[in-house]
Formats: sequence, structure tokens, C-alpha cells
Amino acid sequence: MKRFSFLIAAALVLSFLAGCSGASGRGASMTRELFAMDTYMTMTCRGENAEQALDAAEAEILRLDALLSTGSTDSEISRLNAEGGGACSEDTAALLRAALDAYRETDGAFDCTILPLMELWGFPSGTLHVPTEAELEHALTVTGSRHVSLSGSAVSMDPGTKIDLGGIAKGFTSGRLMEIFRSFGVESAIVSLGGNVQCLGSRSDGAGWRCGIRAPGDGASSDDIAGVVTVRDKAVITSGSYERRLTDEVTGRIYHHILDPSTGRPADTGLASVTIVSSDGTLADALSTACFVMGEEKAEAFWRERFDEFDMILIRTDGSIRVTEGVADAFVTSRPCAVIPK
Amino acid sequence: MKERRVRRADLMLIAVLLAFGVVLALGNVLFSRAGQTAVVRVSGKVVAAYPLSEDREEEIAGAHGGFNRLVIRGGGAWMEDADCPDRLCVGMGVIRRAGQSIVCLPHQVTVEIVGPGRRDTDAVSE
Repeated sequence: MKRFSFLIAAALVLSFLAGCSGASGRGASMTRELFAMDTYMTMTCRGENAEQALDAAEAEILRLDALLSTGSTDSEISRLNAEGGGACSEDTAALLRAALDAYRETDGAFDCTILPLMELWGFPSGTLHVPTEAELEHALTVTGSRHVSLSGSAVSMDPGTKIDLGGIAKGFTSGRLMEIFRSFGVESAIVSLGGNVQCLGSRSDGAGWRCGIRAPGDGASSDDIAGVVTVRDKAVITSGSYERRLTDEVTGRIYHHILDPSTGRPADTGLASVTIVSSDGTLADALSTACFVMGEEKAEAFWRERFDEFDMILIRTDGSIRVTEGVADAFVTSRPCAVIPK
Repeated sequence: MKERRVRRADLMLIAVLLAFGVVLALGNVLFSRAGQTAVVRVSGKVVAAYPLSEDREEEIAGAHGGFNRLVIRGGGAWMEDADCPDRLCVGMGVIRRAGQSIVCLPHQVTVEIVGPGRRDTDAVSE
């Protein structure tokens, strides 16, 4: 018997030293997967009420999707677009307000009115149309958040202007999920809404959540990561030119979906992806797009004004990485990586 | 008499396992901040660490005077050759992802891939 206890003790010590910690902590960990907002979502949370929390989270995702989808004619957004405005719900108003704020703060780099441009290029349908100068100019006359006004819950838009809150809806939703988890007493959770990641607290072993950043580039698969950032209570949201690309079958040229609202063309700034790390999911979602459009120099200047609100990881098209000071110590990569100082 | 011999063997096994655990833990701590790296150990001691991003061929001096030839090429690592009796290590194929390893028991050689990889992450932002 003594021998056995020795062996068991050794096995325990061994597994502890090797870091293969078993499941522990209060409540079991539960995972839920679903398809919504045109993407694949996973949610994992730990706590006594994990199941109820996940039920509530799923219901909230479906509710927000029904409000905000531009793909469905029944959604509130589709109704506003069809009627050129009208009254909207509290959530839509909150999201639209955040979008308009982001437009102002980023000097137009984030713009929720580029739907006519996206449609012109064929991104929603998946069939590429490379627009002519005249077509672009015409579409640009109705884009720009200056064509939208919001007063309380009343929206009005200039003729031809359309809004699409898809650029911040997932960040807004993941932020809302964290609130729901908290209200159910869940202290540890992580969600990925189609690659938009947000986490609550820390892992069950007490360590921060390890969030990989997808490696951009033609040769890289979706399995490859460029680095790992360890975070607690943060959203980690990336915009990359590897997503939603359309190829011109004649010229072989590839067009990505992150349009520069000032030109109407895919932003070409030498960046392959921008990751924002922030406790505010909505902000992170808006800024990942905005900073991609801005390019390295402008994005860094913008960060210096607001470093207390977010951090960022920039991956250039040459594969090298620049990471802001606030998150540099939490970021690990094997690539060339420079720190952006304040 | 029989009983005693078995107990000593147990203790040795425990000691070996413990040493291996300590080395594994140390390896984790030492190399977790690097990129994808092949960490080579002989008799539990780290003798070399090579980045998978650089092609190379290395002769590893294993225990009991044996040798193993490690090749790193195209982001993967494998045992090209060895003079161990079973040559199981040569048959283990290519490893490239964090957590994968090749073991040559006769020469007490292990090669383990350490570094950030999808296995190590809780989620991927994309």
C-alpha cells in the first residue's frame, strides 16, 4: 500500500510540475456553440449558473441579430434604411450613437454608412464588381455619417444613405454578454463571436486568458497564429485584410473588404491586420477597423491620445509586428516585434 | 529479498519521473516566451534549443555514446537517423506544433516543440 501511495504522490507532483492541471474551481465549465450574425460563435463560462447564463446569452445574441441584421428585411436596421429613418429601439440607438461617436473621434475612418459602397463592390453578395470612378464618386455622395442624425431614439438620414452597424455589432454584443455573465454570478468566461474575442476574469487556473492573434498572409491558414496576448476582462478584436476577399478572375487581383470611407476603395496602408485590446468591446470593434484604415502612423498618433482606453497590435504586410506599450509585456511572438512607446 | 528489489525499482521510477517533470516544467518556463522552438534534452537535461524557422541538421550526443541526427527544415523537425537499437524515434515523423515531441528511449533523447500555437490558446482573434 505504501508503494501505491508513493506512486500516487509522485504522479500528482509530476502532473503539477508538468502543468497538466486538472479541472478545478467552483462549478463546471460549459461551452455553447451557435451560428448567428452570419458567423460561428463559441461561448465558454464557468460558474454555478453557467447553463442559465449561456441560455440568456444565446437569447440576447439572437435578439440583437434580429434588430441589426442588414441581410434580413425584417430587421430594425433594414426598416430604417428603407424608410430613411424613424424611431428605433434603445439598443439600436445606443449602437448607432457609438458608431457616430467613433466616426467623429476617428475623423471618419470608422463609418457606419459605407453600405452603398460595400454593395457597389459586391461584398454582401460575394460577386466582385470593380467600380468605375464615376460609380465610386456617386456612391461617396451618400456615404459619411454626417448624413445621419440621431436625437434620442429618432433617426433621420439623407436620401440614399444607408446604415450598417455590422462593424461594431459583434463588439457591442460581446460586451453585453459579459454583463449577462456577471449578472448570473459567472466570474470566468470567454466568447468568440466569429473571431471577435472577449473575456471575463481569468481562467480557472487563475492565469489570464491566452488569446492568439491570427497570422495574416497568403500562405497562412486560419490555424496559424502570429502571437499570443494574455488578458483579463478584455475584448481582443482584429480586423484583417485576409477576411472576405474577392478575386478578380481576369486580372487575378484580390480586393479585401475594409474600405477606406474617404476613397471608397480597400484601404491600402501597408497593414495586414490590426488588433485592439480594450475593456470596451464596442470601442475595440470600431477601432480595429478605423486603425486599419488610418495606417500605422495615424493609428499610433491616435493611440497616444487615448492610451488609457485601448492598446493595439499592428501586423504589417511584411509580417513584422508593432505593439503598444500597454500590452507589450502580455504579448508573445516569434516574429520581429517593436514596441510603440507613449 | 524479492520485495526489496521491487521497491528500489519503484523509487528509481519515481525519481526519474520527478526529474522529467521538473525538466518539463523548467522547459515550459524557460521557453514559453520564445517562438516555435525545438527543445532537445538528453537524460532530462536541456542541451539545445533550435528555432523551427531556421533549417539545420544537428548531431545529438545521446546517452550511452549513441547518436541521433535531428533535421529541422520547412518549419518541422524530425529524426533523420539514429544508431539506437529500435530506431523508433526515426519512425515518429515530423513534428511542428507546440506540445508535440519525439522520444528516443535508448539514448534518453527528447525533442519537444515549445512556443505559441493554437493548442496553447483559449481563443483566436481574427
